[in-house]
Amino acid sequence: MAAYLIRRTIYGLFTVLGVLLLLFVLFFAVTDPDDIARKAVGERARPEVYALWKKNHGYDRPLLLNRAYAADDPRRYSNTLLFDHYRRMLTFDFGNSDADDSAIARRLKEGMGPSLSLTVPLFALGLVVGVLLALFVAFFRETYIDRAVLVLCMLTMSIASLLYIIAGQYLIGMLLKWFPISGFAFDPYLAGRFLALPVLVGVVAGIGADVRLYRTIFVEESNRDYVRTARAKGCGEARVMLAHVLRNALIPILSNIVITIPFLFTGALLLESFFGIPGLGSLTVEAIQGNDFSTLRTMVYLGALLFIAGQILTDVSYALADPRVRLT
Amino acid sequence: MRPTSIKAIGIALALAGCSNNPYPASDRAQKILYSSFSEAPKTLDPAVAYTTASHIITGNVYDTLLEYHFLKRPYELMPALAESVPAAVPHPDGGVSYLFKIRDGILFHADPCFQLSQGHGRSRKVTAADFAFELARLADPAVNSPLAGSFAQVQGFAPFAERLAGMRQADPAFAALPAHEQYKRAGGIAGVSVRSERELEIVLSEAKPQILYFFAMPFTTPVPWEAVAYYNGQAGREHFADHPVGTGPYRLAVYEKQYRMQLERNEAWYRSQASLPAAPGATFPREIDQHDIVSKQIDGDYAGRRLPFLDRINFVREREDVPRFNKFLQGYYDEGHIIKESFDAVVQNDALSPQMAARGMRLDKTVEPSIFYIGFNMDDPVVGTAAGERGRKLRQAMSLVIDAKAYLELFLNGRGVLAQTPLPPGIFGYDQNYKNPFRQLDLARAQKLLAEAGYRNGLDARTGAPLKLSFDTPNTTAQALLQYQFYVSAWRQLGLDVEINASTYNQFQAKVRRGAYQLFTWGWIADFPDPENFFFLLECGNAQSKSGGPNTANFCNGEFDRLYHEMKSLPNDARRQGLIKRMLALTEQERPWIELFHNEEYALSHAWVINSKPMGLSYPTYKYMDVDPELRSRLQSEWNVPVRWPLYLALLAIVAATIPAVRTFYRERQ
Repeated sequence: MAAYLIRRTIYGLFTVLGVLLLLFVLFFAVTDPDDIARKAVGERARPEVYALWKKNHGYDRPLLLNRAYAADDPRRYSNTLLFDHYRRMLTFDFGNSDADDSAIARRLKEGMGPSLSLTVPLFALGLVVGVLLALFVAFFRETYIDRAVLVLCMLTMSIASLLYIIAGQYLIGMLLKWFPISGFAFDPYLAGRFLALPVLVGVVAGIGADVRLYRTIFVEESNRDYVRTARAKGCGEARVMLAHVLRNALIPILSNIVITIPFLFTGALLLESFFGIPGLGSLTVEAIQGNDFSTLRTMVYLGALLFIAGQILTDVSYALADPRVRLT
Repeated sequence: MRPTSIKAIGIALALAGCSNNPYPASDRAQKILYSSFSEAPKTLDPAVAYTTASHIITGNVYDTLLEYHFLKRPYELMPALAESVPAAVPHPDGGVSYLFKIRDGILFHADPCFQLSQGHGRSRKVTAADFAFELARLADPAVNSPLAGSFAQVQGFAPFAERLAGMRQADPAFAALPAHEQYKRAGGIAGVSVRSERELEIVLSEAKPQILYFFAMPFTTPVPWEAVAYYNGQAGREHFADHPVGTGPYRLAVYEKQYRMQLERNEAWYRSQASLPAAPGATFPREIDQHDIVSKQIDGDYAGRRLPFLDRINFVREREDVPRFNKFLQGYYDEGHIIKESFDAVVQNDALSPQMAARGMRLDKTVEPSIFYIGFNMDDPVVGTAAGERGRKLRQAMSLVIDAKAYLELFLNGRGVLAQTPLPPGIFGYDQNYKNPFRQLDLARAQKLLAEAGYRNGLDARTGAPLKLSFDTPNTTAQALLQYQFYVSAWRQLGLDVEINASTYNQFQAKVRRGAYQLFTWGWIADFPDPENFFFLLECGNAQSKSGGPNTANFCNGEFDRLYHEMKSLPNDARRQGLIKRMLALTEQERPWIELFHNEEYALSHAWVINSKPMGLSYPTYKYMDVDPELRSRLQSEWNVPVRWPLYLALLAIVAATIPAVRTFYRERQ
């Protein structure tokens, strides 16, 4: 497995280099650094202010080739936006925000806690509720419960997630008054009150697709010979479902969930924005709205890294869950 | 008991203890004002901060030499940190000077930065040098103050900036020195003299009465050099832009700008015996209009009382309008703004709806000193000056068919005052009885003018081809496109083919810089209540194509400019009124703009908020406001009783639906 992991990591590194090139084209070749500077310091700023801002943010260099240096001088290539872009991203030196000059690394550190406090319970509860509900439906397959739940799943999948948020805030926060409509607290005891509603909304919004997928997997497993054998040997239905079906259905479920685990760090864009949670999802939305290219570039890069990490994790989890799977 | 029942009871019990109150119970009895903000302030550096988001902090943390009287309209300047509003002293060379006498005993907020000069964590007295330091910061190109241009008349202002930039470029060691050292070595601004510890003289090269308004803005607040030197982002310290150190009624206690901000009362504010006497800014005004008392915007009992009244002001970040407004309705924000979606439920017949009024809510309306308009690029050969009489008549015709009233009702719930001239209500020169002959809907007259311009039914009489115009806009959202479509439809009545070229703000700015536009729409909110702050948008020296200035219409009219320059240095008297009238007559005929409306802000506040009268001009008024925490707590409890029966009903429904399935399943198995 070690050899496989090393190989996958090397593949991943090449993918990252490709992603960085794509990011460079998107953020520098398409967007003029002058426009970024103008947006940051204001339209009416004096030319020397633009120049100073560009210098401070490293945007004063040429894109690919610095002709200020001789052909044999390595700085001809190293003192360029492209080289600096690669250097910064690969060393995780993200620099400062284009919008307000705050250190991006600090913003990431500050935003990760709130994001995780939302996404971890959302992920765990969504998984538990999804699996249990799917098991329940599979248990009662071909009954009116099965059909009713499937119709409900289709309904929940057809509704846009924004609607869940607005309806959840209005129904539970405004009409029923169970939880605060929005807000956040760093104190873990107080945070629970604020997180209950977004977690609930997030679980409901995502449950339809999960239950349908898991139900299909469970029903398929339920029809296999080993399940029939277990039943024939007098194994109870609950034991059949939980000890046999659930365990063997783990591999496809793992493929669905493990890849999402790394993304727990990057937060939930809409939920964070609407519920006032100062996480990384909010940070991304704000970077998009505020033309904060340096922050946005960092978030896209981290997203790519986490995606690659998620893929490797999924492969490893296959091997761990199923002894038949060999990673070579 | 079955496990599912235990779980259900657990959930029910958990919910029974639930509440939607987002604040800790310990804060309920305190004098805290709860508010929200949507955009995090970009900077709190008073030399740079120029947005409402920043001003809610800088306007409370920093004091100014002068300030506006809270209740008097038209706006009136009164002394704040200065002992009096200084009179202009004319100089033989045509310049003028103002001598500010600074109150004694004013202290900066206690802050660790003062260890640089005073030892550990102490404060110090404000001196004239602190104002001079901030004025030097305004001139400093590296600070990039958006208001630097407004101080061009201060003698030596621009040369100081040039000297500073030159010395920095020539000597990196000089550039590495703290700002106050650099300013000292660069010689300071010639027209800013520190006469004594409490006397500051400003010398202008020409008369500019408007300069006094700038001393009522946080841009000219006293700034301790220690704060700028200490908060430099090094050794784990913050940047000065995130750590304000002022003298104001509140100090910034919490600044997590992505999430919340908290202001705390400055106990040392005007507390010294020397600073308080006759400081009008430190007491609630006694001159209260009866109308303000009747409308409950002001509580008359507060007259003459020491300010401020609130212990704390909490701002929570709410990025989205809907949750913010709903929390206001629940009583968890003390003040709020009406969202478009709920306008009809909140406002009926231009007043609060009976439902909202029954809750004790108040609606405060303020016409902003603003103007929104459609502009013509006067450099354009078809719609501009070069087209001569043809172009003028075309502009007049296009102005006659824009129904700003319908626009306001359709898109802004009627929130605005129809504009007849660039000047809004409350600004000297505004005449509420004046009707601009080219801003009255008149299709027949417009068609006649268009025909006279040689574009009958939108066809160019010379070529027979339809006249095509482009309307450049800085917004690409669907909502904005609908709004632009409204204008285009109006012009279509004349047969004009106007194409909308929607672009992003950046792209639009690039077009403006290139001069590649014909029609555009824009707005302006005044910095200070003077007609000069509107007419300068049409002065030739400020033309975008000539100087990159804010005159985006590139309107250049010699007569207008002559009148403008004469008007801008006059006090508000009959002569000035006469000049303004002549300027307005010129804009009426020339039509560089189609004036649309002056924006009207509708602010809501709850019954427990006292003295909620808005100030306008983006100035926060928290130091005058108060709250009744008992009434708030009582009403919040009444309005927010959790409704639990749906939970019990849902649990019952789940059990009821499951039991037959379980029974069926076991029956089938048997």
